[in-house]
Amino acid sequence: MFKTMFKPLFQNKKFIIGLIIFLIFLALGIIGPLVYKVDPTEMTWDFEQPPSKIHPLGTDTYGRDILAQLLQGIRSSLYVGFLASVISLAIGTIIGTFSAVKRGIIDDLLMSFTNIILTTPSVLIAILIASYLNVRSLEVIALILGLFQWPWFARAIRAQLMSVLSREYVYLSRMAGYSDFRLIIEDLIPTIATYSFMSFVLFINGGIMGEAGLSLIGLGPTQGISLGIMLQWAVLMEAMRRGLWWWFVPPGVAIVAVTSALLIISTAMDEVFNPRLREE
Amino acid sequence: MSNSLMKIEKVKAYYMLKDRYVKAVDNISFEINENEVIGVVGESGCGKSTLSNVLMMNIIKPLALIDGKILFKTNGSYKEISSLSREEVRKDFWGKKMALIPQAAMNALMPTIKIEKYVEHLADAHNIPKDKFLKKAKERFEKVDLDPKWLKRFPFELSGGMKQRAVIAIATLLDPDLLIADEPTSALDVVNQKMFLKILMEMKKQGIVKSIIFVTHDIATIRQIADRMLVMYAGKIMEISPIDKIVEKPLNPYTQGLLNSVLTPEPEIKKRGITTIPGAPPNLIDPPKGCRFHPRCPHAMDICKEKEPELKEVEPGRKVACFLYSEERS
Amino acid sequence: MISKQMWKYIFRKLIFLIITYIIATTIVFLLPRIIPGNPLSQMLASLSQVAQANPEAIRAAEKNLMEEFGFGKPWYVQYFEFVSNALRGNLGTSVAYYPRKVLDLIIPVLPWTLLLLLPATIVAWFLGNSLGAWAGFRRNTWIDKGVLTTSLIVSQIPYYWLGMILIYFFGVRLGILPVGGAYTQGNFPSFSWNFFVDVLKHYILPFSSIVISAMGGWAIGMRLMVIYELGNDYVRFSEALGMKDKRIYKYVFRNSMLPQITGLALSLGGALGGALITEIVFNYPGTGFLLFKALTTLDYPLIQGVFVILIASIYLANFIVDFIYALIDPRIRLGQEE
Repeated sequence: MFKTMFKPLFQNKKFIIGLIIFLIFLALGIIGPLVYKVDPTEMTWDFEQPPSKIHPLGTDTYGRDILAQLLQGIRSSLYVGFLASVISLAIGTIIGTFSAVKRGIIDDLLMSFTNIILTTPSVLIAILIASYLNVRSLEVIALILGLFQWPWFARAIRAQLMSVLSREYVYLSRMAGYSDFRLIIEDLIPTIATYSFMSFVLFINGGIMGEAGLSLIGLGPTQGISLGIMLQWAVLMEAMRRGLWWWFVPPGVAIVAVTSALLIISTAMDEVFNPRLREE
Repeated sequence: MSNSLMKIEKVKAYYMLKDRYVKAVDNISFEINENEVIGVVGESGCGKSTLSNVLMMNIIKPLALIDGKILFKTNGSYKEISSLSREEVRKDFWGKKMALIPQAAMNALMPTIKIEKYVEHLADAHNIPKDKFLKKAKERFEKVDLDPKWLKRFPFELSGGMKQRAVIAIATLLDPDLLIADEPTSALDVVNQKMFLKILMEMKKQGIVKSIIFVTHDIATIRQIADRMLVMYAGKIMEISPIDKIVEKPLNPYTQGLLNSVLTPEPEIKKRGITTIPGAPPNLIDPPKGCRFHPRCPHAMDICKEKEPELKEVEPGRKVACFLYSEERS
Repeated sequence: MISKQMWKYIFRKLIFLIITYIIATTIVFLLPRIIPGNPLSQMLASLSQVAQANPEAIRAAEKNLMEEFGFGKPWYVQYFEFVSNALRGNLGTSVAYYPRKVLDLIIPVLPWTLLLLLPATIVAWFLGNSLGAWAGFRRNTWIDKGVLTTSLIVSQIPYYWLGMILIYFFGVRLGILPVGGAYTQGNFPSFSWNFFVDVLKHYILPFSSIVISAMGGWAIGMRLMVIYELGNDYVRFSEALGMKDKRIYKYVFRNSMLPQITGLALSLGGALGGALITEIVFNYPGTGFLLFKALTTLDYPLIQGVFVILIASIYLANFIVDFIYALIDPRIRLGQEE
């Protein structure tokens, strides 16, 4: 079943391109710091140097190596993105499932809660929460971001489950000779799995972008280097007004490349799995 | 026959995919007479919906007209519409000469403007004075048993059956010669279905439309309104005959199976008992050699696996594609 | 014009937004009180380091702060005071700018933020939707593929990073546009032509960075909506009746636009967040810049005040968009659907 499901995906050009770009950055984040063994926090007298042989991407105001920072930054940002995404998925799944299974007043309450979170300007609340925390580890940042991006997902999970659990549907499937178990395996899992995966991918984007935004406003992780922290340092030191392009361009390029690769992956999946977009 | 409205000659229409093609309409010939209702039946995926698109020359890639001619009678002479582009046919024929009631007629009306506005836009598209056309629409609404006041409403304010009637009224506003109804009753309850069929027949009786093609998988409906029945299987016509003859004595084994498999209140069918056709329809990418029905046919002979049967007249007015009724059997 | 059903719809939206606003402001109230380690005492500590020169002012600020936050009183009294003060427009006193009132600090900067955010968001919405519709109508042509690919990438460019690139390119390399601020230093706000041109010059870069990066998302969404709508039966029916493509595209455009209006309401919060950060990058004297200063000095009354005001403006804008939506979509006007 899964083989036939995923085969068309690997025939989709967009999906392949997105996947390759993402994997490259994933590898840079995981393996990069192990191969390029330069301490990203070590200060040297070679400050604000453009790219050279010793410093392939140049140095910042304190003479720290930008490439080392970038590799470390990609790693941290991906980590925050993944973690935030897992948190959002977990909350969304729990709330969506509870709503669909319990129905009645619990459903009403959970859905109003979901709608309230959906309407709340989550960026602002995230900034506010972060502002009260003195120590913000990468995990805390991921938690703050993960707390606000689940509402869409919870609603979709609820809708999917509702339709599957609706009596008519089960009745019809029984008529067609399916057992309940087969029903869940064949119908529910693929739809929810693809939707969850697409949401997972987009939530990673939310996490990476959110981290960068919080960092720029001065509320990023208080230890370690992320892509957002790199950008914040560049802004603080007026890198763009002083022409130090090698400082602020790479982290932004990394953010855009990773997030758009993930967005392309999810768009391609939508085109493959969504019957209303299928071309044949 | 000079009184045919449309002639379809050896038409092949395939869906051209990357590395293969789907033979949805494969070498089909028949005529649509003036003042008749043809019911097109077949299982889903047999090409009947493609056929209705081909009749309108609504050919959008990947569908392509491979071969054959389609002739449409206008002003006493036949026009070869298959040599025109889709856009040309659309400009000169759609709405005016031929009209369509789509599958989900309930959603066929533009949802966020008033029906009246839609009628005005239609007048605009055909360069007809708006007030004259609106007056006509009011009359048509009355004909389909709808209060003309509903013209001033939005489609979502009408009930399902009312929407359906509004759609017929609007589809026939330009007095098309041919009306193609593509499974229009599938979403309706029995009462509304009856009403719908009655109105459709009324439209024909009053000469607003000349001929109707009614595409469905519901043989009971066809029995009520059609003059002739056209049975399709895997992109081919299996049989085309006057309705009473076909119901009384279906010739092609597929038609027999189809009629037997349908729950109908018709006494002569009930007598024969209800069975189903074993097996499933073939895919149209690589249909079986010979007669396409032979793998499922209870009467299959050697020749059926080798040669394709032609659609031949076996009795006056009855055509069937089957070697059981051909001298070639041996 | 406004039917009973529409009043009902508007009323329900209003109630929902008010409840949501109360919850949001309650969070604003609760946070400093539930987060361990009493952030306020830290704030005072850091403040006394900054301004050792004037211990009396510090003491006054401290006393005032304790009073305004109502520490020591029961929580419900604190909450009641917070709400009633806020309703009377008293958002407390700033610590970093003591003794200036929070509201007095926010009011002069708010117009700059609105001036940047509202036109940029609306222009991005219009351009993005038009571009997306243009692509959707030409599905699978090179135009469509180009628009989709570009939008997928551009939509992921953070406003502020694009701002940095634009500053570097147009401000530093080409040197044709100012690199920051809302007007030239020393050029005091006035209603003169010169000042207007000066503001406009400073406006171009932050405005463009928001418009360009926000456009992509709208284009992607609109393209999808158009493709969905084109598959609907009314399109097929209208074609079969001989209607012209131009008219049918108008129908599809109209129906695809409606969900995008709701989308606009929901996106305002995120757009505001992006704009606040863009202000920081551009040293643009708006709310974001003020918030940034408040955050670096841990000026909690000011931070709270900024949030109370910003959240209120978001909900107000949300309500206006919903109202316009109800006016445009007959299904809501006549009470058909949500």
